[in-house]
Amino acid sequence: MAEKKKVKKEKEPDITFYHPDLLAVPENEPPYLKGYKCKKCGQLDFPKVTPCANCWGEEFEMVPLSRKGTLYSFSDLYIGQPGLETPYICGYIDLPENVRIFAMLKGEVNTFKCNEEVELTTGPIRMNTDGLPITSYMFQKA
Amino acid sequence: MKLQRDVYIAGVGETVFGKHKIDYDELGRNAAFQAIKASNIDSPGMIGSAYVGNAHNGIVTGQTIFKDLGVCGTTPIINVESACSAGAMAVHLAIKDVAYGLTELSMGVGAENHTLRRKSGTAFMPAMNDIETVHGGVMTGKYAMRATRYMYETGATIEDLALITQKSRRHGKNNPHAPFGGDYTIQEIIDSRMIAYPLTLHQCCGIVDGAGAVVVCSKEMVKKLGIEKPVKVRGSVVTSGPYHNRPRDITGDDITEMTSEMLYEESGIGPKDVDILELHDAFTIAELLYYECMQLCGKGEGLKFLRDGQATYGGQCVVSPRGGMLSYGHPIGASGAAQIAANVKQLRGECNGYQVEPIPKVAMSHVTGGGLSGTEHAACTMHMITADW
Repeated sequence: MAEKKKVKKEKEPDITFYHPDLLAVPENEPPYLKGYKCKKCGQLDFPKVTPCANCWGEEFEMVPLSRKGTLYSFSDLYIGQPGLETPYICGYIDLPENVRIFAMLKGEVNTFKCNEEVELTTGPIRMNTDGLPITSYMFQKA
Repeated sequence: MKLQRDVYIAGVGETVFGKHKIDYDELGRNAAFQAIKASNIDSPGMIGSAYVGNAHNGIVTGQTIFKDLGVCGTTPIINVESACSAGAMAVHLAIKDVAYGLTELSMGVGAENHTLRRKSGTAFMPAMNDIETVHGGVMTGKYAMRATRYMYETGATIEDLALITQKSRRHGKNNPHAPFGGDYTIQEIIDSRMIAYPLTLHQCCGIVDGAGAVVVCSKEMVKKLGIEKPVKVRGSVVTSGPYHNRPRDITGDDITEMTSEMLYEESGIGPKDVDILELHDAFTIAELLYYECMQLCGKGEGLKFLRDGQATYGGQCVVSPRGGMLSYGHPIGASGAAQIAANVKQLRGECNGYQVEPIPKVAMSHVTGGGLSGTEHAACTMHMITADW
């Protein structure tokens, strides 16, 4: 009987960018978040919700969102998720497009205030299963 | 839910909460058997259906609990999961079976053991497929952001938040089921370890193990069992978190506002008529907001309500008479059922050492569930029960 040839399956590398549908980082230009406007009812959402949660429309137009917004609230976290280094800071950012984003904040603990202006940046939000940082959107003081 | 016929609570059970070496199934069985005995049930065949709330302990949790009580076979046992709302949702489903005439007697149980499986020193979080979790979201943070905003808008301080812990743990001081009950100074509370600014350790519910169980039945069954102090179910409401990613006021809580409105309408009992209330005080800030959300007081009056002593003995409504989650800790799937069990014992005057006087007639309970992005909570379950003897 012929021996079965063992083929070792190569492990696919884990992601290092989160996520092309949410965030664009063009070369030599500032990054931006991608909003999605439903072509049927006009509702703008971030993140993309398919189908549109308002009308079940399935076609969307991508709309770059404002880079600056208002920090609605925040917290300095000293006990966090397993595997994340503490302290880290998270917050809700309200954009002029009437969208609220939850994001990590880049900066020092004890320095943020409600209703401050913040701007989009990028940075590592966690490590992937290969031990490499995953880049995503973050906000910092404008 | 519109109750199609009268439903009563015949008996309840709860374990001591805390760090247990026995697993969820034994905890659940202990609470369930207490409730069975308190209801004068003398054979497994009397239980028409059973629902079991659990969040983290794996599969077929309900059948694992009930098989050793001989309640398997023709009895449908259905497992319920909605994070912190699971135990109360299990009771809701038992009520539904009786209300619609599917059974004469059903059980709702909540049971959970976290500490046998969970590494300490980390916070609970929604699932990793949630966009906020990927970006570091944890439950402590979600509540902490509500506190930050509330303090910003109202000028409240951490000392104000600490008053909630002080009040509730005083309520739980003589309750043998509540491991964190006791006398705490405001300084001790605010000097405890910072978990998520502005929430310190003593402003957060402990991660513990425990179980609660509730037997519900029809009016005929109350007579047949010879229940001397039947507690009537006046309302039972389950809702799901309204979803959107637009700015919302997190010093309110849309799902709690909606659910309590529905419960008041269903029960015909208004917020000012509630004598005792167990609510989802997983963190101090939550209780403060919920006074307002449930219309115990007006919007912006939560702190005044607390400071005026309206939430403690002699006030308008004794909030967390068992000591709340701040005294019990919070085994996720168990708490909702345990709250109802504790409320029943208060209505019956069975809480030696922590009994609210005069003995309350109307009790409400509230438990939300799950920090899903785009919602304040994934679920909310509320119950209104009254003394009926």
